[in-house]
Parts: sequence; C-alpha cells; structure tokens
Amino acid sequence: MKQFTSNPLYKFILFPIGQIVVFILGAGITLSVLVILLAYIFRGSVTNLDLVERTLVILPKVLIDGVTIGFVYATIALGYTMVYGVLEFINFSHSEIFMVGGVVGVELLRYFDAQGTLATMNQYVVITLAILLGMIIAGSLAVTVERVAYKPLRNAPRLVPLISAIGMSFFLQDTVRLILGLTTGEFNVILPKFGTFDDFQTFTVPGLAAPVQLQNKTILLIAVTIVMLVGLNYLVNGTKVGKAIRAVAQDRPTASLMGINVNLIISITFLIGGTLGGAAGVLFALKVTRLDPFVGFFPGLKAFTAAVLGGIGNLTGALLGGIVLGLLESFGASYLGVFTQGAFGAEYKDIFAFAILIAILIFRPSGLLGQTVGQKA
Amino acid sequence: MKQFFSNLYAAINKEPWSYIVTFGLMIIGSALVYATPRSLTAFLILLLSPASMYFLKMNNKVKLFAGLVLAIIVLPVLGIRNIFYLEVIFQICVFAALALGLNIVVGMAGLLDLGYVAFYAVGAYTWAFFGSKQISLLHSVPGAAPANAPYFLENPNWFWLFIFLGIGLAAFAGILLGLPVLRLRGDYLAIVTLGFGEVIRVLALNLDKPINITNGPQGITPIQRPTLPPALLDALGRVLEPIVGHPVTEAQFYNVFFYFLALAIIIIAVIVARRLDDSRIGRAWTAIREDETAAIAMGIPLVKMKLAAFASGAAFAGAMGVIYAANRTFVSPETFSFLQSIGVLSMVILGGLGSIPGVIIGAAVVVFLNIQVLQTFSLYLSSLRQSDAVIPIINFAWRNLSTQLDPAKYQKLIFGLILVVMMIFRPSGLIPAERRKRELAGEEEIDEITE
Amino acid sequence: MALLETKDVIKRFGGLTAVNKMNFTLEKGQIASIIGPNGAGKTTFFNTLTGIYKPEEGSIEFNGHSLVGLRPDQVAERGIARTFQNIRLFGSMTVIENILVGMHTQLKQRGTDILFRTKTFHEEEAEAEARAKELMDYVGLKNVGNELARNLPYGGQRRIEIARALAANPTLILLDEPTAGMNPNETEEAIKLFRRIRDERGVTVLLIEHDMRVVMNISERISVMDYGEKIAEGTPAQIRSNQRVIEAYLGREAAAQA
Repeated sequence: MKQFTSNPLYKFILFPIGQIVVFILGAGITLSVLVILLAYIFRGSVTNLDLVERTLVILPKVLIDGVTIGFVYATIALGYTMVYGVLEFINFSHSEIFMVGGVVGVELLRYFDAQGTLATMNQYVVITLAILLGMIIAGSLAVTVERVAYKPLRNAPRLVPLISAIGMSFFLQDTVRLILGLTTGEFNVILPKFGTFDDFQTFTVPGLAAPVQLQNKTILLIAVTIVMLVGLNYLVNGTKVGKAIRAVAQDRPTASLMGINVNLIISITFLIGGTLGGAAGVLFALKVTRLDPFVGFFPGLKAFTAAVLGGIGNLTGALLGGIVLGLLESFGASYLGVFTQGAFGAEYKDIFAFAILIAILIFRPSGLLGQTVGQKA
Repeated sequence: MKQFFSNLYAAINKEPWSYIVTFGLMIIGSALVYATPRSLTAFLILLLSPASMYFLKMNNKVKLFAGLVLAIIVLPVLGIRNIFYLEVIFQICVFAALALGLNIVVGMAGLLDLGYVAFYAVGAYTWAFFGSKQISLLHSVPGAAPANAPYFLENPNWFWLFIFLGIGLAAFAGILLGLPVLRLRGDYLAIVTLGFGEVIRVLALNLDKPINITNGPQGITPIQRPTLPPALLDALGRVLEPIVGHPVTEAQFYNVFFYFLALAIIIIAVIVARRLDDSRIGRAWTAIREDETAAIAMGIPLVKMKLAAFASGAAFAGAMGVIYAANRTFVSPETFSFLQSIGVLSMVILGGLGSIPGVIIGAAVVVFLNIQVLQTFSLYLSSLRQSDAVIPIINFAWRNLSTQLDPAKYQKLIFGLILVVMMIFRPSGLIPAERRKRELAGEEEIDEITE
Repeated sequence: MALLETKDVIKRFGGLTAVNKMNFTLEKGQIASIIGPNGAGKTTFFNTLTGIYKPEEGSIEFNGHSLVGLRPDQVAERGIARTFQNIRLFGSMTVIENILVGMHTQLKQRGTDILFRTKTFHEEEAEAEARAKELMDYVGLKNVGNELARNLPYGGQRRIEIARALAANPTLILLDEPTAGMNPNETEEAIKLFRRIRDERGVTVLLIEHDMRVVMNISERISVMDYGEKIAEGTPAQIRSNQRVIEAYLGREAAAQA
C-alpha cells in the first residue's frame, strides 16, 4: 500500500482528481438531499405546483451550474490563497488579474474574428491560444503589480499593502477601461461566436425522467481547470520550486538563510497565481460571453470567500472552498426563488457569499480544512 | 523645487506677510470669482485662502474672524451668484464630514472599514423612507405609483428629529455589524465590511418586493425638506438681490441652507473628533491601533472600544445621510456603491490617517478634482473634439479621439492612484497626524532628541 | 493567604504541552523569579496568568478570585500589570501618553464627560498627567514626556514600559526579562528600581529573567521551569546547589562531570 501511495501516478494525478470528485460528490449530494428534504417539508404550503417535482426538475442544472462556477472560483481562489500563504496578505487586485486575463483572451478571439480567420481555424487551437495568451499577460501583470505596489511595502504595517492593493485594483479597472475605450471605442468586450462550444451534449441518466444537458464549453471549462489543478498540485508538491514556495510560506527568514531567493519565490508565487487567474478569466469569458473592466469584482470576492471557507493558505482548501461555494450559490440562487415563490430570488446570490464569509469568520475562522503542514494561516 | 517652497513658506510665514497673503487671497479670490463665475483659477485662489489661514502664523482671533467671514458671508453670496460653486462646496462639506467619521474608525482606531457608505445609506434611506410618500406606496410596483399619494409625515420639519434618528440608527447598525466581526484580524475586517457595504446596496436595490420599501433601482423621490421661514427669506432676498445681480430663488436659499447645515456637522465632527482623540477613549484607540496585545494587557477592553469607534464613525455618516437625502430630495442605491466607500477612504489616506485638518483637506482636494478639475478637462477635450485641431508630430486629429476618453468618468483611476502612490511614498498623508505636545512643568524644551 | 496561587495549570499547543501541571504560589510583598532554559514555558506561563492564553486545566487564583476564563483586560483590571519580553510600546504616542494609556482602568471619565469637557474630565486629566510625570521621575525618565516613545533609546523604552505598568496601580507586576540587552550599569539601576517598586509602593514583583546575577541578587524565592514543568523552587542559595537545576542548565552529562 505504501508503495502504491508513493507512486507518482497516484500521488500527482489519481489522488488530486479523486479529491476533486469526492468534494463535488460530497457537497453536491449533501445540498441535494437538503433541498429535497425542504421540498417535502414545504410541499403542503404551496398549492399550485408540486414543489418536490419542481425541485427535482431543475436539480441537475443547478448542480452543473454550481460545479462549473465552483471550478472558476477555485481557480481564482488558488491565487489568493498562495499569496496569502507566502505573504499573509490579501492580494485585492487579484480579481483584476482575472479580468485582464479574460479581456486579453477575448480580444485575441476578436482579432481573429476581424481577420476573418476565426471561422476557419480549429476551435481547440483558437481557444488554447486564447487561454495561453490570457495566462501569459495575466501572469506578467501579477508579477509587475507585486514589484511596483507591494514589494516596497513588505515590512510596513499590515494595512498598508492592503490599501495599496485596493488602490491597484481600482487603478487596473479604469486603466483597462481606458485602453479599451481608446482602442475600440467601447469598454464592453463581447465574445465572438465560433466553433461548437455553445452546443449541448445530451446524456440520459438512468432514473431521471429528463436527459441531462451539458454545454460543450462547460465540459471544456471543467477539463481545463482539472488539468491546471493537477498541474499546480504537482508543481507545489513535486518540484523543487514548490518546495521553496512551501519553505518561504512557512518561515521567510529561515528560508532566506537556507539560500532560497525569497524575492524570486514571491514573484513566482504571484506568477503562478496570475496565470491561473488569467486562465480562469478566459474560461469565465467563454461561459458568460461578455466582459467589462469591472467584471472581476464579484468573482474575485467570492473566490476570496472560497479561499477563507476552505482555510486560507491551504491549496486543497481553496479547491474545496471553491466547489462548495459555487454549489451553495447555485442552490441558493435557484431554490430561494422556488421556496419563497419568487418573493426573493437570484438577485440575492451575490450576497450569499458574504453571508457565508461572515458566518465562517465568526464560527470557524480557520476554514473547513484549517491549516496543513507547509502552509500557515 | 522643495527648497523653493520651503523658502517661500518661511518668507510669508511671518507678520505682516501672513496677513497680507491670507486676506489678499481672500479678497482677490472673491473678486475674481464674482467677476468670472466659471473660472477654475479664480475658485482655486479663493479656496487657497482657508488653507493659508490654517498654515500661516496669525493671531488666532484674526484667523477665526477671517474664517467666519469667509464661511458665513463670502461663500454663500458667491454661491448664490453662481450656484455651481455652492454645489462644489456642499459636496466638499458632505465628504469632509464623512471623511472625519471614517477617520475615527480607520485613522484613530486603525480598523479598515471598506463599507463605510453603508452607514451613510442607513441615514439617507431612513429619511427617504419616512420623509417621502414611500409608506403609502408599500404595495405598489415601482414606477406605477398613484399620483396623489400623501406624504407620510405632514410636517416636513420632522427632518430635524430624523437627523438624530439617523445618527442613532447608523450607530446601531455599526454596533450590529461590529459585534460579530470586530474580533477579526484587520484584513478580514476590511473584507467583511466591504461585504456589508455591498449587502446594504443589494438590499436597497432589491427590497422593492415583496413589499416595496426602497423602490428598487429607481430610488425614492420626492423627499421632503424642512421649511424655511418665508419672512426671513424675503428680507434676505431683498438684501442679496443687488449684490448677486439676480432675484434669489427659494431653491438657491435651500442650497445655502444645506451648506450651512453641512458646515455645522463638520464643525461638530471636528470638535467631537478632537475631544475624543485627546481623552481616555482616543488614547485607547491609538493604543489598539499600535499594538492590540499590549493595549489589552493595559486593561483596555478591545471589543468595547472598537465598537465605540465603529459606532461614532457611523453616527456622522448617518447624520450626513439624512441631510443628503433632504438636499437631493432623491436617493438611489447607486449613491452608496463600493466606489464611494473607497472615495472617502482615499480622502482620509490622502490627507493623513488620524489627522483632522488632513482629512478635511483630503476631502476638499478629492471632491475638487472630481467635480471641477476632471469635468473641466472633459469639457476641454470635447471642445477639442468639435474643432479641427490636430496633435502635432503624431498628426492625430482630435476629432478622432474616442468619446470613451472622458476624464470625468475615471474616478476609480484617480482613487486608485491616490491609494497606491500615498501608501508607497507618503503613508502618513499630506498633513501627518501629530501628537499633542503637553505643557509639562519641570520639563525643559529640547528641540531634537539625541540618542 | 497567598496573593497568587496556581494549581496544576496545563497549557497545550496542539500536541505540545508548553506548561505542565504548574503549581505556583506567590506571597504578597515578595520579589520572586521564574527561571529556566529557553523554551521552558516561562513566557507561556505569564501569558496564561494574564489571560492571553486560556489554560486547558488547572486553577489560577489571585486575591482569592479565579482568573481562569477572564480576558487580559479583565485580568489587568484586577490588578496585574505586565511588561513584555520584546518591548511593546505604543511607538507613535508620546511617552506621557503611553503612561496615560496604562492608567486606562483607573480613569473614570465617561463619554459625556469627554464630549462636553466637564469639570470631572479636566480635573481627572490634570491629575492623571501629574501622576504620569511623577511616574516618569520615579523610573528615571527626564525631559522626554513629549517625545514619541519609539524615538527613545532602548533603556529608556524599558523604563517607559515599567512606568506604564505601574500607572495601573497594580498589586502585582510581572516583568518579562526586564534587563535583557542592558549593560551592567543599567542592570544595576534596574535592580534598584525593582526593589524600590516593592519597598516604596508595596507592589509584589514577579520576574522572568535569564541574567543570573539579577536573579540571585534580587529574588527572595526562585522557581525553575524546564520542559513546561516546575523542577525546583526555593531561595537563591537552595537553587544554586540543586542538582536538577544544574542538569537542566548544563545538560545531564556536563552535570555528571562537574
């Protein structure tokens, strides 16, 4: 058994994927059971429709939506949690790194569109290029922001770099708006239609009356994020750079005495967080098809909530937090309307995250998974 | 450059030059504003005069006198002549009061509150709800209000009571939020207050159903204003008409009235903040800001003191909210966005955390930038767009400049730059806070500490 | 009755027991010391006494009342003041303000007194300021009342910390390595000051100290901690000849050779 668990295939591929599956199943099943129970309890108070049936009909879609957005949150949350692990600092401008990644990716697609080549190119090549460009630009931007706005403040009181980061977040939003305005005359960025990403795949699940429908882009999003999460897990736990990152996170002065270039490692941490954020941005753009320079705010905050929910500084925690938060939000947005018969509905979904955040911080500030070795909260 | 300014300051910072400069700025500024009501330079010169009053050495009684003349006579008269200035000054006053309140929380007690305008919203919506027809419209859909719905309060002078109610409710909201979250570490607190700010805004946006409390995104209007005595307006109107060159309307009198009201709040805010700062409570706040562990070991109850800071800060925002709602006769959720919270924060940071004169100047600079400088710049750009002018060298026609380039819309850029630049280069602000020097009998004055 | 009495106090961090079954008594008016190698749990014991940490087990009684479960500010209010191992002053406040913060529990002014500047307020502030000046003199600080605390040299900062602790009119003062980093002259003066605090003000003094000259010179009673446990207790002379103490400090083999 021991031999098997130290097998790299298991350690770096099977185990993390298994973890993701367990998280999704655990959170998904728990919430599903909860709403079905609620539906049974309240079925008497609603007369004009069968609450249980209504609950079951939308359940697959709610689950899929929750997992999809959960993966986006998890990918962004990793950026927050890595930086927090290393610097104990909330990188407030991470939401803008995410936004920039998305905007750059879509702009590349729009460029191909304007050239007339978008329709003729292989859609997977196109989307790969867009994701890669988003990752490169977002990663370099994250490193630059760290050098300019955070590095000079590394020994200042805690609130000083935080305020600088908030300023940077605002600055980036309007800078992107300015650049878009000057170059395209419009600061909304709309994804051009291409390929078969909007098409549905239909699966019939035994026991369900209606078939489950999955959009191609949802499958793509889930596949790409899983690849990235597995890659990150390998990078942090299987490489020398990862070891250095964990060392800096645990004890910066000692790591520096051991000959680790702390500044370089911090830059690499921002680079990794930035590239993940950038990729998440492009995938998010594919999902929502329309971006603007302010689009990062809510996903950013929710991803931060996800990071805290899982236990900030803890990479697995960010993943779990993202998935749980995505599902909670999706369930809340859909079923609040169902159970209150439309009196309250999806318009409150943006504040679920805050309610959850406040609740965790009060009752379990160390998050669901708390601290693990190699990371400090 | 720096040398030049410090020389200049030294040269004018003695009698009689301090008097000549101050009164010179005041008289020339007023004359220029009077003569050219739309000139930015003229207004700037006038605004420099209170700054010179503050910075230059003069007899305190003269300072007070000059300040009162400027605030009570000069500004209102010039403001009636050109109502736009009064609007600028009113906004400066509103934001200065908000900045003073936030300064208690962030500057004195060191608690980063990113949702401060939520308390402003509590005050504003309190008067908006009771001082309008909203209570009669609870069961009507937004936009489809019956035309003849009555005001809930027949007498608009309930307004005065609601200022106090706004203070109380905002302070209560501060305690309600503070109780669970004030145990948290500073950076978590920042995010939670941000969340609270958004929660309040989302509630304002969506509580038009199931019962229509806030009228949703359309906001509540009309909101009543307190009545002004007609006899007094008549008399003042007769005196002012020849001076300002046109009959004074009731709307203009209202603008002056709200200006005085905001000014009164600022004066109260300054007095309260200074008194708190120099007391057992203020010292406890500073101690908490500096080192929580040491502070609590000195017997300072952390949560209680933080709650006091939160509630006092919120109280000012509540009062200002009530006044704002009456001034605009309209409130809508968009006034209370995260952007506004950051705007107020950038005023405090720019002026100097914990520094009372600093945050007032910070508020003045930021408001002035926003509604005067940027807008003037926008107008200038759009006039260039209309012309045939071309940028030399790169040969770019102004006409082709994107209409997206509208400086007035780039507030976030300005706030963001202020925050980043100040944190990196001058974290204590333009006018850093100073500790009060006590007259200590038996202590010799020493200029520089030598170690 | 003892002023301070702890019974079987246990403080754990995860799997590590930092303070183990600590039984400790302190008589009123004593000067006592706790010594022990680095990491022996001395500061953790202080932090447990002052409410920064909550003990997992055991009782702490001060003046006949339990301190377990009280917050640090409540402990301070009952009359225990302290200083810190690494000086923790309020750096951007003046020296006199630091001392005034120490008087927090003593001042009675209320919000209304502060806002309306009542007679009570003015009188109390004037009195507090006078007392603060008296305390500055007492610990030997001159002409620095208006200086920012962080601008003072190291020795001066140590003195402010003691003055700040005394400002609370404590019954018991806990000093965590108060002479660390001092030269022999400064140490000598510090010892005199600690004696005066006890003799003139009647304040019971408990020190954590590494400097054996200080400990042996000043203490009437010494407790030795190692690995979170009290391994010995007695007068300086008893401690000097205690085999377990020598082992703890020098290691078993070295002790055997000696």
